[in-house]
Amino acid sequence: MPLIQYWRVLPRPLRIVAGRLIMIVPQMFGVMLVTFLLVRLLPGDPALLMLGNMATEEQIIALREKLGLNLSVYEQFMQYAGNVMHGDLGVSPFTSNPVVVDLLERAPATLELITYAMLLTILIGVAFAVISVIRPKGAIDYGSRVYGLAAGAIPDFWVGLLLIYFFFYVLGWAPAPFGRVDALVTPPPTVTGFYTIDSLLAGDLNAFFSAVGRLLLPVLTLAIVNAGALMKMTKTVFADAYRSDFIRHQRACGLSERTIVRSALRNSLPPIITLVGFLFGFLLGAAVLVETIFSWGGLGQYAVQAVINSDYAALQGFVLVAAAFILVVYLVVDILYELADPRIKV
Amino acid sequence: MKNNGIVLEFLRRPSAVIGLTILALQIIAVIFAPMIAPYSPIEADPFASLEAPSVAHWLGTDVSGMDIFSRIVYATRINLLISITAVIVAFAIGVPLGLLIGYYRGLLSATVMRLFDFIQSFPVFVLGMALVSVMGQEIWNVAIVLAVLFIPMFARLIRAEVLSLRERPFISAARCSGATDLAIMFRHILPNAMTPAIVQISISIGMAILLTAGLSFVGAGVRMPTPEWGLMVSIGAQQMILGVWWVALFPGLAIVLAVLCFALLGDAAREVADPTARRR
Repeated sequence: MPLIQYWRVLPRPLRIVAGRLIMIVPQMFGVMLVTFLLVRLLPGDPALLMLGNMATEEQIIALREKLGLNLSVYEQFMQYAGNVMHGDLGVSPFTSNPVVVDLLERAPATLELITYAMLLTILIGVAFAVISVIRPKGAIDYGSRVYGLAAGAIPDFWVGLLLIYFFFYVLGWAPAPFGRVDALVTPPPTVTGFYTIDSLLAGDLNAFFSAVGRLLLPVLTLAIVNAGALMKMTKTVFADAYRSDFIRHQRACGLSERTIVRSALRNSLPPIITLVGFLFGFLLGAAVLVETIFSWGGLGQYAVQAVINSDYAALQGFVLVAAAFILVVYLVVDILYELADPRIKV
Repeated sequence: MKNNGIVLEFLRRPSAVIGLTILALQIIAVIFAPMIAPYSPIEADPFASLEAPSVAHWLGTDVSGMDIFSRIVYATRINLLISITAVIVAFAIGVPLGLLIGYYRGLLSATVMRLFDFIQSFPVFVLGMALVSVMGQEIWNVAIVLAVLFIPMFARLIRAEVLSLRERPFISAARCSGATDLAIMFRHILPNAMTPAIVQISISIGMAILLTAGLSFVGAGVRMPTPEWGLMVSIGAQQMILGVWWVALFPGLAIVLAVLCFALLGDAAREVADPTARRR
């Protein structure tokens, strides 16, 4: 009983965060189980396949030992889980680095890409949704309907290629789609790993503009494809709020349209937060394709290389990190959702 | 009589008409591919590499001189085959599974739901890519992987319906009159729970087409020289920077049309199935 009393005394935000943090332990465990089974699906000897054809006899025996291939499946899983928790995801035979090192090196590139893509997606999606609800049957309402239908049908990799064709080849406005900064510009010293932020911190405007230029097309690609879904769903949620009784009351009281829109948006915030969380998952998947087109050198391109080289240690590591990232995003989303909706009891 | 009404209601919608038109075109392409395509879809012609669209090659040729129009027509077979098979398999497994875990709510059902949670906590494309690459890049493996990824979706839809239906009076009535669990599940609950899952079929086929194309694009799907839309776009990707637009543009358009077709049909089906969910 006393424990529960302590719980009740805690401030609400703290209770929300603590409650969610406990949930993530079994979830992580489940994710590890799936990535473990993933490599178990390999036909043949996983040790041989993970090491590649160049492996020596001793290496194979050592890895078999480490993977515990002669143990029972349960013991094998415990061993794998133990390795993961010590940050050991194996060694990639192609980069000959530990997979963890490879992933950490490439993570900022992908994070920078999807963060900016997320911001632009929210901006486009929410803006179009709001305008088409408050001005029904207008040009933007009609346009957004067509866009919403089309955006769900367009493959992101194809949009990226079309953007490259128009903005790089035809118009010459965008820089070449090779990497995160111009080949002649030295990347800024790493602080956050985001080139746009690091270059500003280093006071290197040259690198900053180069990094921004390189970001434009991939970010635009991701936003164009994903904003449609966000827009459609935001429209539904926002339209409900906009037509509800309290908005009618506000209008009757003579509040300005601006205030009304703002309070309708505030009330449709919780579902939008959930959608944004899901979008992060989509963006991470889409980043795999877009990074390939723009030679971005992030996690996605690493994963594609792993697929092409049959580099299963790297692939398994990437899948695990991707899922863990999504779990953390969902965690943050759940916490924000509960913070944004005071009606939810904790 | 009642069914006729639904079909008419469906056909009255412009989205259904456009969707069905595109679908008809695709079916024609699938059946009559050898007659429509002027060239072989897999034969390279080194002397006709990267030719722009012309009378001889309507949509141009790719880097190895294969006719793009012919390949797009033949690719309809592969792309529709993979996507439709995957969705049918997912539907056939997901629906009974959802019925069972909705009807029996024991430890096993809870475990299956947690398993779905884990599968769905991975980004779909990432998990699909890893699974195909681990299982081997064969056409059938792509279909199997997509089916596995879609099973939780169908099972969840059915389960949600079953959960609300099983508390309804007509189910109690059936139970009182001595109906067995099996009869209640399949005769009384299932027919009433199917609608959302059936509507989802069309939309899922569109998603499957996009995923298949994406997987082939990154090299985790169908391989050369098999004609497949995503693979064709990836072959044109390098030339796009050099201004050769037709190699990647046209197969991409084929993807857009195909996905749009199933999305429109799905939208129309949803509106007919659920008149309260009319367009806002």
